Amino acid sequence: MITHDAASELLASFALDAVEDEERRQVEDHLATCPRCRSELDAMSAVAAAMGNSVEPLPEGLWSNIASRLPERGDEEPPPMPRLVAGDRSTEGAPDATGRGRLRGPMATLGALAVAAAAVAALLGVGLVRADDRVAHYQSLARVGTAETVAAALEVPGHQVVTLETAGQAELARFVVVPDGRGYLISSTLPTLASHHTYQLWGTIANKPISLGLLGPSPRQATFTVATTAPLSKLSVTVEPAGGSVVPSGQAVASGTV
Amino acid sequence: MQQIGDVSDAQLVTSIARYSEVALAEAYRRHGGAVYGLARRVLNNSAEAEDVTQEVFLRLWDQPDRFDASRGSLRSYLLAQSHGRAVDAVRSLNSRRLREERNAQRTATAAYDMDHEIWDLALADQVAQALGELPGEERRAIEMAYFEGHTYQEVARLLRQPEGTVKGRIRNGMRRMRDLLMAAGVQEVGA
Repeated sequence: MITHDAASELLASFALDAVEDEERRQVEDHLATCPRCRSELDAMSAVAAAMGNSVEPLPEGLWSNIASRLPERGDEEPPPMPRLVAGDRSTEGAPDATGRGRLRGPMATLGALAVAAAAVAALLGVGLVRADDRVAHYQSLARVGTAETVAAALEVPGHQVVTLETAGQAELARFVVVPDGRGYLISSTLPTLASHHTYQLWGTIANKPISLGLLGPSPRQATFTVATTAPLSKLSVTVEPAGGSVVPSGQAVASGTV
Repeated sequence: MQQIGDVSDAQLVTSIARYSEVALAEAYRRHGGAVYGLARRVLNNSAEAEDVTQEVFLRLWDQPDRFDASRGSLRSYLLAQSHGRAVDAVRSLNSRRLREERNAQRTATAAYDMDHEIWDLALADQVAQALGELPGEERRAIEMAYFEGHTYQEVARLLRQPEGTVKGRIRNGMRRMRDLLMAAGVQEVGA
């Protein structure tokens, strides 16, 4: 049985997976009875996670492989889903629109389409999605194509089509924005960039440019979400280094008023 | 109406427990790149990193209850899972055979390309800065353990230092990292 002091000395190495098997078992036994060491380990693990937090582009097809290996659960009805929809307590306990059972049926309404589209949306305070392979994975998952999603968005009352033009009024991209804040790329003729650059989409909110996401070097599909409480007055696209920028680093190559 | 992109990680995990593939997909969208990135950095092999990423998310699907939101973020939990599996692979006999070759490659590819989202980029900067402020021997011991998959005993042998010294350097360095990151406003390490 390892002492508290000995276990405590090992916690940092334990958090780094840098102890041998016998010591690991001893530390695990001690952790089961020592809340102080569990707390210390949680802090060390958070530091380890911060060090390991280097995001890389996900390989094409990886999500499909994962999804295909999810075990079938037969025809049994899944338990009621917890709400993924807030602010409407009347839906508490109701079947969830994002449950796998529902995904297998036709998703004919915009609401359902929007839920699927929203699965690829949002980052930071403002929704953000890069138009990359991940988008395709989710669309495949939801059995919904972007063309259908865009077509559905164009049916929504109150939608706006925003045309992004160069200073010389040449059209480079067109988005549709629906009243609940979601937006989709309809078309783009933005020229392909070198791989170390990306197009970045910005929304002007309260006279400030807010990043809505990286569009990649050759935009074809994109979804974004903005809060309806913060009116969007303009969309613009800039060219940025591949990782994106916190603020626009140069003039917009195209912009359009919402 | 709140969209799935707006729900908390803890809510996502609850939904995964109720068989929501969309919730799993959203968890993958949020954290898959980090899970894969860490595995690839430790393994220095894309195919093996993909295997690790698959295992991590399939395990989240099968055993979502293993994530305890009171003990840290979902990102931290998934990264720990990724790291543990990557280290297991590195330490396996087959991988050990390739270690030397990989270490040689690692030197050449240390400045690997990363596709950070903005938050990740900011955190990476803070982590790099904090690591840079550690005494060299503490930083080296932590990096060898975490990114190269060595146990502290192996680090001690490689550095020709007593095991207790290396264990202490890792401990002191990790505590120093926590303090530096907290001072930089990284709340996730304030557990």
